[in-house]
Amino acid sequence: MSKISDSLNHKNIVCPFCSLHCDDLEIDVHDNKLYVKSNVPKSCAYKYEKLNLAKFKDMVTTVKGKPCEPKKAYQYSKQLIKKSKETVLLNSSSDVNVTREVLSTASKVNAIVDHVNSSIFLKNISIYQRRGYMATSLTEIKNKSDVIIVFSNNLFKTYPRLMEKFLATKNSFSVNSKKKEIYVIGNKKNNIKDCNIRDKRITYVDYNNRNITKLLNSLISKKNESSISNKVFNKLLASIETSKYLSVLWATSEFESYKECDEIIYNISAYVVSLNKTSRAACLSLSGNDGDVSFTQTLGWMTGFPSRIKFTGNFFEYDKDANNAIQLINSGNSDLVIHLNSLSEKKLVLNKKNKNIVIGRPCTKFNIEPDVFISCGIPGIDFKGHIFRTDNVVSLPLTSLRMSHSRSTQEILREILE
Amino acid sequence: MTTLCLKNGQIFDPINKIFNKKKDIYVKDGKIVEKLNEKISETIDCKNKIIMPGAIDLHTHIGGGKVNIARLMLQEFHNNSDRDYDLTADFIPSTLKTGLQYIKMGYTSCFEPAVLPINARQSHSEMADTPFIDKGGYALLGNDDFLLDLISRGAHQSEINDYVAFILKATQCIGIKVVNPGGINAFKFNQRALNVDENSVRYKITPRKIVRLLARAVYELGVPHPLHVHCSNLGVPGNFKSTIETIKAAEGLPVHITHIQFHSYGNNGDRNFSSASAEITDYINKIPNLTCDVGQVLFGQTATMSGDSMKQHANHSHAHPDKWLCMDIECEAGCGVVPFKYTDQSFVNALQWAIGLETFLLTEDPDKIFLTTDHPNGAPFTSYPHLIKLLMNKSFRDNLLDQLSVDISKHTILKDIKREYTLSEIATMTRSAPARILGLTNKGSLSKEADADITIYDSNIKDVEEMFASPTHVIKDGVVVVKDGEIKNYTWGKTQVVKPEYDATIEKKLKKYFDKYHTIALPNYSISNDEMSEVIGSDINEVKCSRKRIS
Repeated sequence: MSKISDSLNHKNIVCPFCSLHCDDLEIDVHDNKLYVKSNVPKSCAYKYEKLNLAKFKDMVTTVKGKPCEPKKAYQYSKQLIKKSKETVLLNSSSDVNVTREVLSTASKVNAIVDHVNSSIFLKNISIYQRRGYMATSLTEIKNKSDVIIVFSNNLFKTYPRLMEKFLATKNSFSVNSKKKEIYVIGNKKNNIKDCNIRDKRITYVDYNNRNITKLLNSLISKKNESSISNKVFNKLLASIETSKYLSVLWATSEFESYKECDEIIYNISAYVVSLNKTSRAACLSLSGNDGDVSFTQTLGWMTGFPSRIKFTGNFFEYDKDANNAIQLINSGNSDLVIHLNSLSEKKLVLNKKNKNIVIGRPCTKFNIEPDVFISCGIPGIDFKGHIFRTDNVVSLPLTSLRMSHSRSTQEILREILE
Repeated sequence: MTTLCLKNGQIFDPINKIFNKKKDIYVKDGKIVEKLNEKISETIDCKNKIIMPGAIDLHTHIGGGKVNIARLMLQEFHNNSDRDYDLTADFIPSTLKTGLQYIKMGYTSCFEPAVLPINARQSHSEMADTPFIDKGGYALLGNDDFLLDLISRGAHQSEINDYVAFILKATQCIGIKVVNPGGINAFKFNQRALNVDENSVRYKITPRKIVRLLARAVYELGVPHPLHVHCSNLGVPGNFKSTIETIKAAEGLPVHITHIQFHSYGNNGDRNFSSASAEITDYINKIPNLTCDVGQVLFGQTATMSGDSMKQHANHSHAHPDKWLCMDIECEAGCGVVPFKYTDQSFVNALQWAIGLETFLLTEDPDKIFLTTDHPNGAPFTSYPHLIKLLMNKSFRDNLLDQLSVDISKHTILKDIKREYTLSEIATMTRSAPARILGLTNKGSLSKEADADITIYDSNIKDVEEMFASPTHVIKDGVVVVKDGEIKNYTWGKTQVVKPEYDATIEKKLKKYFDKYHTIALPNYSISNDEMSEVIGSDINEVKCSRKRIS
């Protein structure tokens, strides 16, 4: 058995922190501290190396903001659960096995199960719940796409290695990678800054993505009514018309604030479907940085629904409106929310109208102090696990890199529901 | 230690050639034993009861990405108002409901026939969350760029064998399946059809070649289950010719043609759609190494789901309701999910129903044909008892034929077929035959040392549909899990796998390919035994392979 003082080198490590789940990381572990050896963006490496700070390693439990023994936090959690009349299990980020445990837990306390990103991924699922959809995955894009369109305002900040590792790649076995044409359409300034790649294959196009439908209509009619210059528009149109395999990428989360969001993703999808009458084209909607894909997939096979289910005994019901956790919380219709956050660094938004138990990775941030905080280990750092990539079809193993002082989310859930 | 005695039952145990013979069965620690010297924990009075080994479904889509797409796409059908298990529809049940419904019908082992290697973790996770049954998967090959590139460069058979063996190990599967050989890959390069002797544009190789090389690889590696083949031209009128050519492509090596009903169509008559079951079953009857499952169509709403993205895309205009999804996947496969409603008002659907039944009834040897609906493509697996009644009862069959909304009587020979399957034949095609073809020597049998997976039916129930739908007892690994239709105990079956040996040099080539072209690293592609048990949650059972050589 290895000891904390051992030095270990791990190769082909899967990063759990963004839904690209790049698995080419080499990580050294000395004295139980993590050092990223691979040449990856600093922002990626920092996600590991910040965990070396003591505050990220030790197990922390608090009740009403005051540090306490784990036993006390468990006891108090049990009391809150016992008193609760409407418990919500709100997943903020997790892998497959945490979600499996959540479903088991929910049935014990008649809880509502939802994910903080439901409103976004339900929009993605709604595309193929209403019409046809042509999808693709990252290895297909890397090897078969000769033309790639990315609608992005901040996509390359959210997915730091998307361009380097999957789009503007050196090698593609069925297209000439040197001749790939990549159009990044959206906030040009952000995209150039975040991509950090100067590559003649990439054309950055400044465009207000709220108007994507107008651009698509222009491409269909071959008459430019968008704000893109005719020169760039004609180049884009020619690329699409001659492409053998067009891929179109976007992140619905970037459009969520637009009132045209549903229309935009529907129109992109319909446009791509229409291209397949004579050529090949496919979509990839990027999502899942908070384990959304793992959550949706796991709920899908265990319940038939992607989120928003309520247990009553061993039976459950689905209602995407009545079981919308965020709405329930905001309207004061839940008295206890158990937040599960084993991966994400985002600040959790808690509501003081209800009691809050947070089972979260160390140093999880909140807007207000939760009633109970229990730090948990991170899948892929402290525990083994299994997580889905953004393209919904690739799932990857998460490994345990260091000796953990924390318990897994699954163990904590079992403990407080004992 | 649990011991059971099943007393005075009528035994149907085809492997031991025991048919309708009274005999006591003893069970100890999950296995069938000859006699018990210990105190018997429980004796089940099996007077007027039929005892068979647990049934085996060798082709049922129960786990993986496409199944989950269908579950999420078709939520409006999840409306089980009986509050029975959960809300999910019978044709796209949750993993829990899948296990519950199979075990309540007396099925104790089920096999997912389309495991994409890249999606194997998901398939196994879903199956691990399916209670009671043993399970396994067939890994999809034959549209993956790595293999097609190997073949196009004239790779030696031994290299292909090594790759096939690697895939079996990496994916924790029990067999290899090829879907529309080369066609799914060709669709990615915008080919819309690929006939058996047609070259793909990209790789300049034919489906015939792919089938021959894969059938040989599976045979030489000694994998018990022959190459599982979904032929070219799924659902296309006149496709029986390409089905026969695909059978010939195996050059006499063992091959299993799946959902053969969908590949037994002629194009005669004023509607250019006709039954070719006679031509197909003639082949099944005369070729020794050929087996098939039927993929029976039954009327009602379902979802079609297939790796055959080429044909699913071609058929999306038939979607009911009008929505669908096709996907290109990781340079190794594809998938298409198209909801569909089979109706007896449709000439084509009605004839599909008849073609399936003709195929069952014209195939002479029940060891060569397996009872499937290609769940859920032809119908949900819950319709098996109804299908068994159709096979066992001519007057029932004829009545239904007469009642169809469209008259297909001039297009089917169904009424001329007098055959009624016997209980012994049903036991063969649902127990011993699938166990044999999968190499499951401990299953599908009531022999000493066999796994105590046992189903007990009430012979007082004269309606066979009712009898097969509701066994009085189901025993899994020696535990009574169902009694009088109620669940008594939860158990979790194992995953059946094969791991033929191979020359590890292939992994060096694969690593080079993965490093250069893939988007994940080779070590993360493979699922280890530890990952199966510790993370995915299923223990494995290794089925033996014995290498063979073609002289």
